[in-house]
Amino acid sequence: MKKYEAIIILNPNLSSEVDSFKNDFEKLLNSNSFNIAKYEDAGRRQLAYSINNHNKGHYLLFNIEGDSEKLIEIENKIKYNESIIRHLFISVKEHLGEDSQLLIDSRDRKTETEEIENDKVEKKSEVIESTNNVEDEETDTKEELVEQKESTEANLEEDKNE
Amino acid sequence: MSKYKLPKKFDYKNVNILKQFITETGKIIPARVTGVSASNQRKLTRHIKIARFLALIPYTDMHN
Repeated sequence: MKKYEAIIILNPNLSSEVDSFKNDFEKLLNSNSFNIAKYEDAGRRQLAYSINNHNKGHYLLFNIEGDSEKLIEIENKIKYNESIIRHLFISVKEHLGEDSQLLIDSRDRKTETEEIENDKVEKKSEVIESTNNVEDEETDTKEELVEQKESTEANLEEDKNE
Repeated sequence: MSKYKLPKKFDYKNVNILKQFITETGKIIPARVTGVSASNQRKLTRHIKIARFLALIPYTDMHN
């Protein structure tokens, strides 16, 4: 028995199907007699460089324990899954029980975006009052706004780091 | 030394700490500049390379 950390980056377009993927993956692990010590969903995150033309990825972390021979079988099955854009299994001496920094970062980001979204909702309601037409366009612009906001946030953070 | 935050244990997931030890172009800064001990520098290098593979930090600033 060896301890491993599994990091899986999912296609960001399939973020809504994370739960079903997680269930499938857990079934796969269990069928190969792996124990899952911890599961973390770090959410969507900006990639440092684009992978297969994706600029974002949905990060999942698993702390697992099992045999190395079975791990190869799991990896072979995962390899051809197109919803995964990157995966990595690392053997570790000990599992840290604490939450990983990725999860903490994603939580911090969520609270920030929620605050921004609350502001936006207020603005949006004003807009809706003035114009009652074309709902589809509005949802599109909403998404664009979110992306723009996020990118500006990322820039700000970089500036701070510098 | 004091201007770098060193954790108890390096971790590829802790991006903010790793970012202190790469240049703007993404290179790993040599230990003779940062003053990190040889043992820590080896661990740091390993984790930076894992974080690069997982697209948490860039390999270079020339990514398109």
